[in-house]
Amino acid sequence: MVWRAVRATGRLVLNLLLVPLGFFALLGTVVTMVLSATYLGLLLLPFAIRFNRAVASLARRNAGAWLGERVTASYRPVAGGPLARVRVVTGDPQTWRDLGFLVLHAFTGTLGGILAIGLWGALGWGLSIPIWWWAPLPEHAIYLPWALDSWARVVVTVPLFLGLVATVGFRVLPSIAEGLFRLAKAILAPRHVRLAERVTEALDAHGYELRRIERDLHDGAQARLVSIAMRLGIAERVLAADPGKAAALITEARLSTEETMTELRDIIRGMYPPILADRGLPGAVAALAGRSPVPVDVEMDDVGRLPAAVEAAAYFVIAEALTNVARHSGASGVKIRIRRTESRLEAEVADDGKGGADENGGSGLAGIRRRVSAFDGETTLTSPPGGPTTLRVELPCE
Amino acid sequence: MRVIIVEDSVLLAEGLTLLLNTEGHEVVATVGTADEFHTAVGKHRPDIAVVDIRLPPTYRDEGVRAAVQVRRDHPGQPILVLSQYVEQTYATELLAGGGGGIGYLLKDRVARVSEFVDALERVARGGTAMDPEVIAQLLTRRHAHPIDTLTPREREVLSLMAEGHSNTDIATTLVVTERAVHKHVGNIFAKLSLPPSDSGHRRVLAVLTYLSGV
Repeated sequence: MVWRAVRATGRLVLNLLLVPLGFFALLGTVVTMVLSATYLGLLLLPFAIRFNRAVASLARRNAGAWLGERVTASYRPVAGGPLARVRVVTGDPQTWRDLGFLVLHAFTGTLGGILAIGLWGALGWGLSIPIWWWAPLPEHAIYLPWALDSWARVVVTVPLFLGLVATVGFRVLPSIAEGLFRLAKAILAPRHVRLAERVTEALDAHGYELRRIERDLHDGAQARLVSIAMRLGIAERVLAADPGKAAALITEARLSTEETMTELRDIIRGMYPPILADRGLPGAVAALAGRSPVPVDVEMDDVGRLPAAVEAAAYFVIAEALTNVARHSGASGVKIRIRRTESRLEAEVADDGKGGADENGGSGLAGIRRRVSAFDGETTLTSPPGGPTTLRVELPCE
Repeated sequence: MRVIIVEDSVLLAEGLTLLLNTEGHEVVATVGTADEFHTAVGKHRPDIAVVDIRLPPTYRDEGVRAAVQVRRDHPGQPILVLSQYVEQTYATELLAGGGGGIGYLLKDRVARVSEFVDALERVARGGTAMDPEVIAQLLTRRHAHPIDTLTPREREVLSLMAEGHSNTDIATTLVVTERAVHKHVGNIFAKLSLPPSDSGHRRVLAVLTYLSGV
């Protein structure tokens, strides 16, 4: 709690330092806008806006550091002649959001900073109470409901005061920081922008999958079918003249169809595992658990039917996680827990192995993250050296 | 043999009929749903039913459920389940009722006509036919397991045994004497501490239960 309060103080003080910067940025913008009646103002406006954006992006970084996530915005690219530049920056809604934020921040940033500094000031003042009593000061210098005129009163008053300030302050300060930085995020990185990014990612992933499937079908199954048709065609022609050759060709054709079937089965499994279609997530997870070399314990709520894409994502994440466990963890047991809250599907894969999972080690964790983030979901991995490893994903399912 | 086919795809049903007729078997009925399957078994008492897993209305695992249901009402009715993919879960469910006369194969296997007909006849006689892929799924599961103590040859024998082949079949497939197979089987049962069992369906069941259980 104390550490959180210290962090909140740090962030709020940095936030306070942004207030004067914001003031200059605003001033610059307003002045250049007024000057826009002249050509000079139009020339300067993009620079003023750029300063604005720099301050806004500092605020974004500060908010992101507190919230523990990336807070980003996308601006329209500024290019072209002076007039075109002005048109771009004034036409970009984020410009106006930034300006609005700076105005608001002049108040909220100041308030938050003062509260943060005030809290520690009050604590310091509390500690200094005994000195005040000792010092030859007029009694009214200490604003307390009772006079501090004996050690007994000091011993009661000081801890009481410190305790009160600390409990209230340490609790309230992080909440204030949370509120202010969430507000900053809402204005500086509006949700529709973030969603648009996610949608782009999802579409990219989807497009990649489609291309992969197309290539697999085209180079594999389709090519094989052509070769089968050719062999059968030749066999048909030579059947009367050379039955032996025809038989050999037909055997080749049959072997080729068998390979094609295996290949198609693999492709289908990669798209949407049939067991998922048959039995839904519970049946599919049970099948995965049954196939895992490391014994698996499954604990699954009744999740009902979910959107197919979410089920498939959860299935592939769990399959990948189990593969990782079998390959890298040296675990003797895995526990899978699947729950559904109102709007989210939560899946957790925890093993008792040696931990130290490396996200960049080609272990498929990056793939899991990509798959989950395409759904606007969240992935958390804890894997300290020595274990245990827990992978948790949350997928929105509404 | 008198066979009924439970398959909603006309193309595949016709192909199967052609194949079975060519091999000298009689297809007494071809139906496309689980309910019709149930009725047809009662009416025709076939030697064997060949059942597709995905049937109307939902095209999921109706075939497996129907097979289990039919076997409950007509104990010992031989059924061969065909599917585009195999899942060990389904194999376990099909075998759970006990008794012989159960087969579970990939549709691909139909292409090797003589092997397919062998399996069909084995199941009709009360034997077992498990797809090699099911066995492979079961065998790749565990590490640090008594299975690891088997020699490669013993693993081969175990797989064939689990698929439902008799010692004679196994000897032919591996090109060894029946005596050698008998010895391997003895070693396998000893290593896995399974009670010695005869060569029929009970043996298959013991092996499969062992593989899917641990």
